[in-house]
Amino acid sequence: MSKDLIAEEKYPPGDFGVWIIIYVELLTFGLFFVGYAFSRRDNLEMFNTSQLMLNQTSGFINTFILITSSYFVAKGVQIIRNMTPESRERANKEASKWLKYAIACGIAFLFIKFSEFYHIFGEGITLSTNKFFMFYLLLTMFHFMHVFLGTIILFNVHQRTKIAGYTPEDHRGFESGASYWHMVDLLWIVLFPLVYIIR
Amino acid sequence: MKKILETVWVVLIVLTIFAYLLGYLKLISTSLVAVLLFTTFIKGALVSDYFMGLKDVGVKFRFIPIIWLTVVITLIAIAYYL
Repeated sequence: MSKDLIAEEKYPPGDFGVWIIIYVELLTFGLFFVGYAFSRRDNLEMFNTSQLMLNQTSGFINTFILITSSYFVAKGVQIIRNMTPESRERANKEASKWLKYAIACGIAFLFIKFSEFYHIFGEGITLSTNKFFMFYLLLTMFHFMHVFLGTIILFNVHQRTKIAGYTPEDHRGFESGASYWHMVDLLWIVLFPLVYIIR
Repeated sequence: MKKILETVWVVLIVLTIFAYLLGYLKLISTSLVAVLLFTTFIKGALVSDYFMGLKDVGVKFRFIPIIWLTVVITLIAIAYYL
């Protein structure tokens, strides 16, 4: 392989460590998704009946919120990547604005999901009610924790943008936080149709 | 090209509305599940390529989430149809 070809290999945005975490999370959730699909196949009637208790509209709103928040974060990354030493302060300020919107979306997601859990638990449903709810609660609560962590990460990145802490040479922290957030979105994109829609 | 993120956002939202309407209007049928899974793949690939920014990175890095999506969605389809 020529030296030029090696030099052309571009790495994903952000720290390599965050990508290891992303790959592990994708694998873990992937196993849960496939486990759900095959369990459903063996308990079709029970899965279809139990699924009727879920609120598809709140699932849809949460999907809308996560996709939109991902867009806000991507806008922030775009601005940070394109900044010059001269536009550093302005770019950080602009990116901070987009992150604020994304954080608001993260909080809205958590709030809606929390009310869904409150309703489900209020109905007396637990992890041991049946296989459907075991998978539903495990998947969505595990994902909820990721959104919670992602929101905290975005908040920290936002704090740094407020002091114009990202430079044209050093904005890996921003990209790492963004990549984590997009992973959370990617997981929900598969989770929503699988758990809420397919029957 | 400048508005690529906006275009991707619109496509993602349209496909999400499509999925929601299938469920909400109880239109979901065996054949439409295949369409739904395909649109899920498209949505995942768009997030990975444009939001995560993997479109311009090395092939092996770009294709890890795509392979993940392909394997997971194929297995979901197998569980549904077989």
